[in-house]
Amino acid sequence: MKRIVVMLLVFLAAVTGVFANGGAESTAASSDTYKIGFIGPLTGDNANYGIRCSNATRLAIEELNAAGGVDGKTFELIAENSLGTVDGAIAAYEKLVYSDGVCAIIGPVFTSPALAVAQRCYEDGIVMISPSATHKDVTSVGDYVYRTVPSDSLQSEVAAHYFYEVLGYRNIACLYAMNDYSQGLATGVEDVFTQLGGTVSAMETCLVGDKDFRTQLGAIRNTDAEAIYIPNYTVEDAQILEQAAQLGMNLPFLSSDGFSDPEIYNLAPDYTDGVIYVGPAQAEASTILEDFTAAYSAAYNGDLPDSFATNSYDAMYILAAAIDRAGSADREAINAEVKATDDFSGANGIINFAPNGDMVASQGVYKVEGTTPVYVGSFQVVDGHIVQVD
Amino acid sequence: MTTLIQYLQYLVNGITLGSIYALIALGYTMVYGILKFINFAHGDILMVGAYTGLLTYTALLGESTNPVWMLTAFFIAMLVSMAFCAALGMFIERVAYKPLRNASRLAPLLSAIGVSFILSNGAAWIFGAQSRRFPYPFDNTPIVIAGLSITPHQILTVTVSVIMMVVLTLFVNKSRMGKAMRATSIDQATSELMGIDVNKIISMTFAIGSALAAVGGILSSFDFRVYASMGTMTGLKAFVAAVIGGIGNIQGAMLGGLILGVLESIGAPLLGIPSALRDTIAFAALIIILLVKPDGILGKNEREKV
Amino acid sequence: MLNFFQLIIIYAGIYALMAIGQNCITGNTGMLSLCHAGFFCIGSYSTAIICKVVGLPFWFSLPVAAIVSGFVGFLIGVPTLRLKGDYLCIATLGLGEIIKNIATNVNPVGMMAVPRAELFGYQFSSRNKFTFILLVWFFVLIAYLLFRQLAHSRLGRAMTAVREDEVAAQANGINVTKYKIGAFILGAAVGGTAGCFATAYTLTVQPGSYTFMVSVMVLCMVVLGGMGNLAGVILGAFIIEFISYFPQLVGLSSVIPAQASQIIYGLVLVIMMICRPQGILGRDRYRYGDGRKTRRSAAVKKEA
Repeated sequence: MKRIVVMLLVFLAAVTGVFANGGAESTAASSDTYKIGFIGPLTGDNANYGIRCSNATRLAIEELNAAGGVDGKTFELIAENSLGTVDGAIAAYEKLVYSDGVCAIIGPVFTSPALAVAQRCYEDGIVMISPSATHKDVTSVGDYVYRTVPSDSLQSEVAAHYFYEVLGYRNIACLYAMNDYSQGLATGVEDVFTQLGGTVSAMETCLVGDKDFRTQLGAIRNTDAEAIYIPNYTVEDAQILEQAAQLGMNLPFLSSDGFSDPEIYNLAPDYTDGVIYVGPAQAEASTILEDFTAAYSAAYNGDLPDSFATNSYDAMYILAAAIDRAGSADREAINAEVKATDDFSGANGIINFAPNGDMVASQGVYKVEGTTPVYVGSFQVVDGHIVQVD
Repeated sequence: MTTLIQYLQYLVNGITLGSIYALIALGYTMVYGILKFINFAHGDILMVGAYTGLLTYTALLGESTNPVWMLTAFFIAMLVSMAFCAALGMFIERVAYKPLRNASRLAPLLSAIGVSFILSNGAAWIFGAQSRRFPYPFDNTPIVIAGLSITPHQILTVTVSVIMMVVLTLFVNKSRMGKAMRATSIDQATSELMGIDVNKIISMTFAIGSALAAVGGILSSFDFRVYASMGTMTGLKAFVAAVIGGIGNIQGAMLGGLILGVLESIGAPLLGIPSALRDTIAFAALIIILLVKPDGILGKNEREKV
Repeated sequence: MLNFFQLIIIYAGIYALMAIGQNCITGNTGMLSLCHAGFFCIGSYSTAIICKVVGLPFWFSLPVAAIVSGFVGFLIGVPTLRLKGDYLCIATLGLGEIIKNIATNVNPVGMMAVPRAELFGYQFSSRNKFTFILLVWFFVLIAYLLFRQLAHSRLGRAMTAVREDEVAAQANGINVTKYKIGAFILGAAVGGTAGCFATAYTLTVQPGSYTFMVSVMVLCMVVLGGMGNLAGVILGAFIIEFISYFPQLVGLSSVIPAQASQIIYGLVLVIMMICRPQGILGRDRYRYGDGRKTRRSAAVKKEA
């Protein structure tokens, strides 16, 4: 028995020792393709977000390749499953960067894996653009880390101002999940809303994957809140809306970009009317979003993209433009060019990057009529007041 | 007054949740009673049941909006799903557990985890990762009595669960097959000597447990939606319920399910702590109950002795 | 590809430590426990807190993680001693879930940018995997040697006696309670140190990672390798990690659908178990594992 272990250890030492400098495998300067990596949960509870994001990235790449790629080179997408965990995301990263030699990464989809991967991207000097990691810390890791989703502080600032100044609410309740996305938005709105002079009369929590929100809704019903803010993912939002209706509550609901997933209209079609949510802005007089939605729906059996998928689509185009300007797969050059992105016009309107890699963009406000979201307008907070941009 | 109504409301919700847990817990308990092993794939059978029910229901319904036909189609769908899951349960038992019947008790546990992976990922592959809604086969407008709201769905869930449990209790206690089942769970070898076809009984147990899981899956999918990993957490909770009640004991599973459901619903507001801690309450209750009654509330105190 | 293989070896080393701990509880002493994810969580957070918040070097976090996890193991061990078999299993599973649930409620994001482990100025970076492998497997070797010694010591023999027959052990003057708690403390402590290495490698802790599936997989490693056989459980850890990352290792993961690789993983588990139910290096069945034997003896007892 001892011999087996000793042999195993010797074997491991030999294998790894011989290739101890394996970490130095360089950027694969493969001749005719630019390899783009994608990291996201493709299986498990949150797989639908990962799958939509990878589908949108794939669609962008197919379009780019159909248009001839850049410099005569085409793009190749290598999508890896993060399983939604840190371990899995790191493994996916290692595979993409060291085995495949990708020149940039889109993803990871959720904050905690994104934090772990961002650290590695920063050290290894490889560009990472997350389409959906909203937590404020993600871009504070350092250079090379970008995102095409507003940080939760940006979104919650606009949301709180809109609720207070435009909708005129003075007392709201929050029902949010204990995860980075939901909690970030809820506490962000709470802070700004109370600073403005409003009251947040209940901060009820749940867990992602919870199905029964009647207890929390019951507690909110006992307060005198004028509206309920539910910054959650689609499935939870659908449950909350339906269960609130079943409890006979008719308070207006406010939500976040998680609500922009069209799946909500399949899950809770009878209860979405009147919901107001803050999501990505849409560029006026631009058909990019419509074209993308149509192309996506055609490519993936009538499925519709959510806002994170749209963000992934934009991320891929931003990356392609940067690679085009850089003219090579050199990671350093790509980083410089992504940073230099100037008024990129994508499906989510005009996008720029702040020096820390955060997306700078207006926020859109939508009001659902029946099962159709109607665009109210793009908003920004300027000098402590909300301003409609267009 | 408001708070009283409030707590009654929590109680109603808790009982609904609890009856679903109880239905699923029954499957765990029956399998455990006979084979003494935790069937980790049980939660995924629930998911398969929900998908089968949903597909059958939508196929049967077509464009029809006739309320009578909707209800009929729903019950047909439920029967189809029960039959399908029963067959699936028997098949899984034959392929993945039977070869391990004489191995250590942990071996089938591992095999069950493998089956669970196959089922949930297979479903995700076939049906995609999105959740689906199971449309109500009836008008689900809540009935409000003095601020207490009860939906027809809640009434249906509790009624169906109670019927299922009564039928199961009668079956196990009164029928020949049930008697054989009880005998097998007490002593497999002796039952075999008495002329009981143990293989058949085990198959039957899996079939019944899986059929109940299918009902639990369909009833829960109105509330919980239908998606590939829907069985994981629900299955775990149901297993906890079975243990609270005393695993191997059918009445115990029902009681355990109700206790767990009510605790989850009422625990957080009663203690005044965030609702996200409701799992902590449920599991802490589990541990406390087990410490007071090490064999579950209704479990028989069978100490291992030599 | 070799770089990725090195990663698998690191992960396998971390899980091997957990499996060694689980083996002490389940394989040696015969108690079915499912809360190694909880100990893993405690260990990971110890490193994160000690290195990042307190600012002490990584090495301090190892004993702290071991002590804290061991203490939690003690807390779990004392009350759950009244429980047997699957009741113990589910109570410990509940504790694991409570640990995760509380961690989630304290901070759902977890912690990031934890400083690296350092030795004489050398940083154990995730880029240089070879040294990291040496670091992790050095501790696996230590744990292996310690627990092998333990198995042959008075303590280990007493544990085996408890596993084989509690009543007989008690009759022979073995303090069953003491050895059961001892096994929990030791197993938990090793599980905790595994968490330290996981944090040292990923530099991030996330409460969502410590699901009961982690505990179940660790138990699988022990069962697959062969309960009670130390070399076996290390091999079990390696095999489970290897199969779960095999598609990525050979580049299959980007070709076939992600669900397909999970299905293959499930299939492999079932087939391996059917082919070798006693585990790869397992020899015999243990008393706990053989339900039929105990029931038959109980029946005999009743008749008598």
